Amino acid sequence: MSYVFFLFQQTMYFTIPLMVVALGALYSERSGVINIALEGIMVMGAFVSVLFIHTFEGQLSGQAMLLAALAIAAASGAVFSLLHAYASIHMKANQVISGTALNMMAPAFAIYIARMIQGVQQIQFTNTFRIEKVPVLGDIPFLGPLFFQKAYITTYLGVAILILAATVMYKTRFGLRLRSCGEHPQAADSVGISVYKMRYAGTLISGALAGAGGLIFIVPTTVNFNATVAGYGFLALAVLIFGQWKPYRIALAALFFGFMKTVSAAYSGIPLLADLGINSYFYKMIPYIATLVVLIFSSKNSQAPKAEGIPYDKGAR
Amino acid sequence: MKIKKLLALSLALAMALALAACGGGSATTTATPTPTAAANTYELALITDIGTIDDKSFNQGAWEGLVQYAEEHNITHQYYKPTEKSDAEYLNAISLAVEGGAKLIVTPGYLFESSIYEAQTLYPDVKFVLLDGQPHTADYKTYEIKDNVYSIFYAEQQAGFLAGYAAVKDGFTKLGFQGGMAVPAVIRYGYGFVQGAEAAAKEMGLPEGSISIKYNYSGDFAATPENQTRAASWYEDGTEIIFACGGAVGNSVMAAAEAGKDKWVIGVDVDQYAESDTVISSAMKMLGTSVYNAISDFYNGSFPGGQIVTLDIAVDGVGLAMDNAKWRTFSAADYQKLHDAMVADTDGIASSILTNTVGDTDGNGTADEFSDFLVAANLKYVTITEVK
Repeated sequence: MSYVFFLFQQTMYFTIPLMVVALGALYSERSGVINIALEGIMVMGAFVSVLFIHTFEGQLSGQAMLLAALAIAAASGAVFSLLHAYASIHMKANQVISGTALNMMAPAFAIYIARMIQGVQQIQFTNTFRIEKVPVLGDIPFLGPLFFQKAYITTYLGVAILILAATVMYKTRFGLRLRSCGEHPQAADSVGISVYKMRYAGTLISGALAGAGGLIFIVPTTVNFNATVAGYGFLALAVLIFGQWKPYRIALAALFFGFMKTVSAAYSGIPLLADLGINSYFYKMIPYIATLVVLIFSSKNSQAPKAEGIPYDKGAR
Repeated sequence: MKIKKLLALSLALAMALALAACGGGSATTTATPTPTAAANTYELALITDIGTIDDKSFNQGAWEGLVQYAEEHNITHQYYKPTEKSDAEYLNAISLAVEGGAKLIVTPGYLFESSIYEAQTLYPDVKFVLLDGQPHTADYKTYEIKDNVYSIFYAEQQAGFLAGYAAVKDGFTKLGFQGGMAVPAVIRYGYGFVQGAEAAAKEMGLPEGSISIKYNYSGDFAATPENQTRAASWYEDGTEIIFACGGAVGNSVMAAAEAGKDKWVIGVDVDQYAESDTVISSAMKMLGTSVYNAISDFYNGSFPGGQIVTLDIAVDGVGLAMDNAKWRTFSAADYQKLHDAMVADTDGIASSILTNTVGDTDGNGTADEFSDFLVAANLKYVTITEVK
């Protein structure tokens, strides 16, 4: 049984950052702005927040520190995504190019500043954030060890963000307006919705979530931040497409990707899986093959926002 | 329009300032040029391979040796970073260094082998120190070293042997080897680790098959959740100590060890104790010292050009970090005893360590090669679980 708990706990390390970042991308794409800058924004969010953790390690620790760092990661991600928003909304630039520029700039910026401040590019941090056991809840049989032991507060935050994201998207006026800007901005404008404002909001939310996702990704993975998030920003895009731009489907897609990645990495330590003797490359391939299959079958009836990637031009008809 | 012009102007100004700041940054990494030296020439140069100058491992170790000599003797020095991993780009970086006035160029890593093969003929007046490799053509057909190249190899298998031996002597029975890419140096570390564990178990009279080692090459040199999860699953399965031998892969192993109880990591290349409290010791190769010595020989007029050497434990080319080690029972005296035995090669303890000589011509590990190694090593006390 302990292996089930172990697999689940490890799966969360993959799933939660992927889900949070993909939900961020959902907001920007639903507003009509392609955001392939997720990778760069993750790097930026992780960089600023890890630098914060490194600097204030003496004063703060545990959950207070993690929450403060998450807020900072989100804020810096939002600020960084402003560059993308300004270029692609105001200047009507090609959104793929602008996103690529951010992706290339973020690691260079992180390395340059880190070296300027402390001489080396890796920023050390001490992980004081793991919750061994949540009081009371952790003692519930089965569910306790599954959800409430050896966890990070980010797991619960991730679930909260999912519910919030889905609610805002489908149950609020803001969500409806945001979605309309991604489907038919001219129509939205004709009824008095500011397409620019909505798109700025979408991109900023995506920046905040991607920035926070960067920190969520880094914390359990390593002991120092080395200006990279190992391509998980791009993977989050795949999760978004696999989830067909719908919040709960995105969560399922992230869980699927995360579980497969966990199995491929962890099978050697789990007797039952090790005995099966399936090569880890097989597990590694599955999520990508699944994405291709989904794309093949859904491309005719894609749920992608119609106006995605097209700069809004008031004068166009 | 005026506002736009102003904006453009301020942007241009900001960029110029940023560039100036960059210039300032790199100037601080170089020593102040001697008054006689022409402006902006650097006598000593290092080209980084795919890692960075502060990778806390290979490039950094070599660079530190170069800087130490340069600062002691007030010699101008600079490092160059190729824009991408290709022979052409490496050669470009070398040309850049030569144009920048380099008299001696250090190239850490076997990736430079074919670029140095070209460069040694192109720049006969420049000396090259090639670490972990020897010059040959890109198709591995012609091996040739000229008088201006000094090739240094390290006996990583001995460093790995020390690590494996110490781990078993210290009472660990469930071990792991987490390599990065299966490049020659990593393979040598791994093979040595396995044989060191075997030798210690034999010496201690443990029952046959009492040591288990999980063995994997991750295929990258990066900190990723996959590497963290693999290490965590090994620890979960009972593994007590993992020899992490792949740059930043080690950071993920450390993250996994920190999440467990009484789980340990053996670092690699340099003493990595500062990276995490879980680092029990490190298998080291003395990159800095060997670069320092080569440069010192160069200035003394005795540059060992045309030579290919393998620095081993007898010349302190490799070793185990004991200053900050956290071994439970393996003491400095134990290490000294092992060290002396290996230097004296008692019963062939050092020379009998198998390395990856059975490998492909390109030096990279293959599945066949590993099984060949297992047959040749004929392990009795150690059971290997190869993780693919």
